[in-house]
Amino acid sequence: MTTTTIKRRHPERPVWEEEPTVAGKGLKAVALTAIALAIVLPMWVVFVTSVSSEKAINEAGGLVVVPGELSLRAYEQILSGGTVTRAVLVSTGVTLVGTAFSVVLSVLAAYGLSRRGSVLHRPLLFVFLLTFLFGPGLVPSYLMVTGLGLKDSYWALILPSAINAFNLVVLRAFFMAIPQELLDSARMDGAGEVRILTRIVLPLSKAVTAVVALFYAVGYWNAFFNAVLYIDDNSMSPLQILLRSMVLQGTNPTGFAGPTPGTAVVAPNLAIKMAVVMLAVVPALLVFPFVQRHFTKGVITGAVKG
Amino acid sequence: MPTITGERSSAGVTPAPPVARRKPRRTPLAARLRRDWPLLAMTLPAAGLLVVFHYIPTLWNAIAFQDYNPYAGAAGSEWVGLGTFQRMLGDPGFWDATVNTLALTGFQLVFFFPIPIALALLLNSVLSRRIRKIMQSIVYLPHFFSWVLVVSFFEQMLGGAGLLAQEMRELGLEPLNIMNNPEGFPLLVTAQAVWMDAGWGMIVFLAALSAINPSLYEAAASDGAGRWRRLWHVTLPGLRPVIVLLLILKLGSALSVGFEQFLLQRDAVGAGAAEVLDTYVYFQGIIVGDLSYGAAAGIFKGVVGLVLILVANRVAHTLGEQGVYSKE
Amino acid sequence: MKRPLTEAAVDRRGFLSLLGVGALATTSGGLLAACGSGGGAGDQGTATQTDKLLQLMPRYQPVELIPPDLPGVGGAPHGYLSYPKNLVQAITETPGTSGKEIAAMAPHWGTVPPALGSNSYYDTVNTRLGVPVKFSLQDGVTYFEKLNTILGAKDVPEVLCIPSWNVAGLAHFSDAVSALFADLTPHLQGDAALNYPMLANLPTKSWLECVWGGKIMAVPYPSDGYPWAFFYRKDIFTELGVAPPTTAQELYDLGKAVTDAKAKRWAFGSIIWEVERLFGSPGSQEGWRKNADGTVVNKIETPEYAAAVEFMTKLFADGLVHPEMMSNTGDAKQLFNSGEMLMTTDGLGGWEGSLATQTAIDPKFDMQPVYPYSHDGTTTPIMRGGGRVVFYNFIRKDLGDDRVKEILRVLNWCGAPYGSQEAELILFGEEGKHFTRGADGTPVKNDLGNTEVAGPYANISGAPPVITPAKYFGQVQSRVDWNNAVTPLQEKDPWEGIRLEIPSKVAALKQPTEDKINDILRGRTALSELETIKKEWLQKGGEEGREFYAKALSDNGR
Repeated sequence: MTTTTIKRRHPERPVWEEEPTVAGKGLKAVALTAIALAIVLPMWVVFVTSVSSEKAINEAGGLVVVPGELSLRAYEQILSGGTVTRAVLVSTGVTLVGTAFSVVLSVLAAYGLSRRGSVLHRPLLFVFLLTFLFGPGLVPSYLMVTGLGLKDSYWALILPSAINAFNLVVLRAFFMAIPQELLDSARMDGAGEVRILTRIVLPLSKAVTAVVALFYAVGYWNAFFNAVLYIDDNSMSPLQILLRSMVLQGTNPTGFAGPTPGTAVVAPNLAIKMAVVMLAVVPALLVFPFVQRHFTKGVITGAVKG
Repeated sequence: MPTITGERSSAGVTPAPPVARRKPRRTPLAARLRRDWPLLAMTLPAAGLLVVFHYIPTLWNAIAFQDYNPYAGAAGSEWVGLGTFQRMLGDPGFWDATVNTLALTGFQLVFFFPIPIALALLLNSVLSRRIRKIMQSIVYLPHFFSWVLVVSFFEQMLGGAGLLAQEMRELGLEPLNIMNNPEGFPLLVTAQAVWMDAGWGMIVFLAALSAINPSLYEAAASDGAGRWRRLWHVTLPGLRPVIVLLLILKLGSALSVGFEQFLLQRDAVGAGAAEVLDTYVYFQGIIVGDLSYGAAAGIFKGVVGLVLILVANRVAHTLGEQGVYSKE
Repeated sequence: MKRPLTEAAVDRRGFLSLLGVGALATTSGGLLAACGSGGGAGDQGTATQTDKLLQLMPRYQPVELIPPDLPGVGGAPHGYLSYPKNLVQAITETPGTSGKEIAAMAPHWGTVPPALGSNSYYDTVNTRLGVPVKFSLQDGVTYFEKLNTILGAKDVPEVLCIPSWNVAGLAHFSDAVSALFADLTPHLQGDAALNYPMLANLPTKSWLECVWGGKIMAVPYPSDGYPWAFFYRKDIFTELGVAPPTTAQELYDLGKAVTDAKAKRWAFGSIIWEVERLFGSPGSQEGWRKNADGTVVNKIETPEYAAAVEFMTKLFADGLVHPEMMSNTGDAKQLFNSGEMLMTTDGLGGWEGSLATQTAIDPKFDMQPVYPYSHDGTTTPIMRGGGRVVFYNFIRKDLGDDRVKEILRVLNWCGAPYGSQEAELILFGEEGKHFTRGADGTPVKNDLGNTEVAGPYANISGAPPVITPAKYFGQVQSRVDWNNAVTPLQEKDPWEGIRLEIPSKVAALKQPTEDKINDILRGRTALSELETIKKEWLQKGGEEGREFYAKALSDNGR
């Protein structure tokens, strides 16, 4: 209706919002374009370099801006060999299970700490906060993980990094911002804490939960150091371990891994590095819409009204 | 039109309605435990994991008080009390690095910290659903680049053999010295950090924005508040708890401003500009195999961080904010 | 946030290697000395007396299966111009007897092959060995952290392969060695080594570096002892009509002549070590030297070093060094390959690598090492020497004599030299299955070979290095000539074979000093600051360093 009353009014603009000035609109357009270019151009360079031949890379003196001779060798090299498929499965599994595990535990803990005046919540909060400040050394962590029999177990890639204090306090801050009377009235109706969490708090916190899930998922997907320490069995390596090694192709100090004459041309090192970046970026691009879905406005309004 | 029954207490447009609070001090502990045990039980699994995988291994940091030799074991290594700390804290190089780190953190608090917020506001204000979604999903991609790549991009654009320098040479000008300039280094590293992580930092603010009650905007608009007044009186108060929380946490890690970024550009601008605490400790402790030094530096950083968090939290409370933990 | 320091250490390694420095550092045995890692562990530092231990060494008995086409002179590696026609079976008995899986861990660079159980190459070699070796291949860049952790936790596999450049930073490594690994002396000392003929074939210089606490503690993968060379683009030099320099002045003039920033061409890349070398600045053990009068000095105290610094400063100030190398953020190899810079330092392994990748796309590509010369063209030039071990292979303690012997037999088998059937199997797999022969008889890996065949068996033992067409394409002659030319010029390291664990105070002094020198080189501080740096260095641990190195010599009667 509003679109008909005011000419060229954007359909998404709320009725009560005034039209922006031309200057304001222009500035915003410039800012958005600049930001988009600052990101898309480097992405373009990474992409083009990843599909460039050694010759094209040499001609460009490194990163390639204008596509020259193209070659998919880098991707072929990364994706060939039976180990990659398995590593992708391992990483996917660890990321899915780990993220679910972390999110559930973090939501529970954040909710448990979010009620003002509840018993012991301050010392417990400090238990989480202090991990943010003091970190354990490698050797004792290793002794703990192996002592629990987790060496060469996928749980070693999940449990030691399952709880992130930052994510937890962010969740808690959002939970605490939910109108108290909503929870209080539910309590008066006899709802238990779990019920309040699942029926009221979580539906109102979809956005932040999705964000925290994203943070955890990115963490699990990109993690490699726990695998370096705790996974000796090469058949259990996650993807990041494989990708990291691939970037080192041809740097064997004994020269062993060097190609022999007549073997297929090895992909240029820089192209492989850039292909590895692409392989990190593409899943991120694919996953974000699932998080974005929850950035809808007005969740609290609806709940309060109802 | 929805009725506003309870805007979030922090949303400051109208004073928060008094929340019926129990008086915890009056309730006996046993009763409180009986009342709150489900909450405690919900917290325990996460806390338990941290105790096992974080706290118990952290006790090992006691080697900071030893001349630690792993093969003699913690029990067999000689206790040197505060010797390692004395060596560390009595070393001017350590303090130079600390001061550098704090200066960079301060610089980034001013010039980096607000940018993800601004970015979130800007992208949130885009009306076209498609453009908004696309922009939101691309701005966080640089987070997945490595520092080597980011520094390399900057070098290729602004370095002595980069695009800008070559253009200037074409025009017969002396190329600007950007990548090798110690004075401009704080600005350079901040620009790199902004490019890499502003989009990543934005995400949590997008979530916070989506939690603001839109009817507040409508109410403010009908009271005659313009665009900027609404930003000031509705949006920012809505974001404030998250902003304050992140600010405090940022202060807690004030002594960790980065590592690889600085190591990479160390030769370019010199250690005088690029030495931060983590690189200093790396060269003095880690690569020479001095585990005690590394542990001592970790404790130093933790204690400073803790003090900063406590102070910042107190300040937040006096300003009427909730901070990281509530004041009761 | 979590474990910032150790994660950081990981990054540092990653960064080195991504910049191409790693490959160089790793090719050079003990060279990391010059590249960024300090040494040492205990606050006191120790020096093993190896001179008195020469009788400890395995009896050296060379195995020469195929006579070389181009013999190396004075200990330099032999060269072969073609792949040997008639391979020799070097070992007849099957080394494995127990059938019990040997767990081995080794660093790895490049695509990790499928693990045991789904790798026919592993199965083939293991069948020949008579005992399965199960490798855990670990990322070469983070291997240092892995080692520090498993050593600290005292959780090591039966065979542990440790790169020599990792040793310097491993905390209390001497203690780790005696606490965790088997003493191999009874099995390898003197004539006992003849039970393992391929191990007796390894150079004594390499074995000397395997001694800890007066015992043979590891089996070496020998290095050829050339840490690096200064390379130039011969093809571009010819185009521009210039020749490699023979004096410092010529080097400078050459730089002036070929640098053209507008055309994106700079003369030099990584050049600091070369300048130090050509001015005769000492390079043994991070820059220590024993003077003729018996005193021990560090490079920072010598006029040679001062001259090198002054010269370097000029190269930087006049813009003859590629800007990205001045910032040290560039990928030296890439810039060199693309001709943006014409001269740079690289490991000899880097030469192999570039030949492999560049000649395929640009037949004209020609990189050659500069032959050594001195600053004035008259003083006899020196060349840097390097450590003689690439990898140390340790065997876990308390396995029992029989098991140690079995493992040694396996290492012996894996150490069969060039020209043996065993070496071919290890390097290329099985004929017909993993490789086919080219027209000249050279094995060419097929797809399965490229996927499955990777070097761990070669790494856990290692034969004397050779120069072969498989690595050097048409450049075998150049490489052997260069080796033979520089071998007599190699700087004598007075501490050769002495195990030095540098006091941490001295080790920690290194980086701050280097930083200040870097400020001079890049024009951030005046050249006159060198005096101040020297004074500060002497005050803050330089004297302790001198005492330590002098004592190490006198303890060994040198």
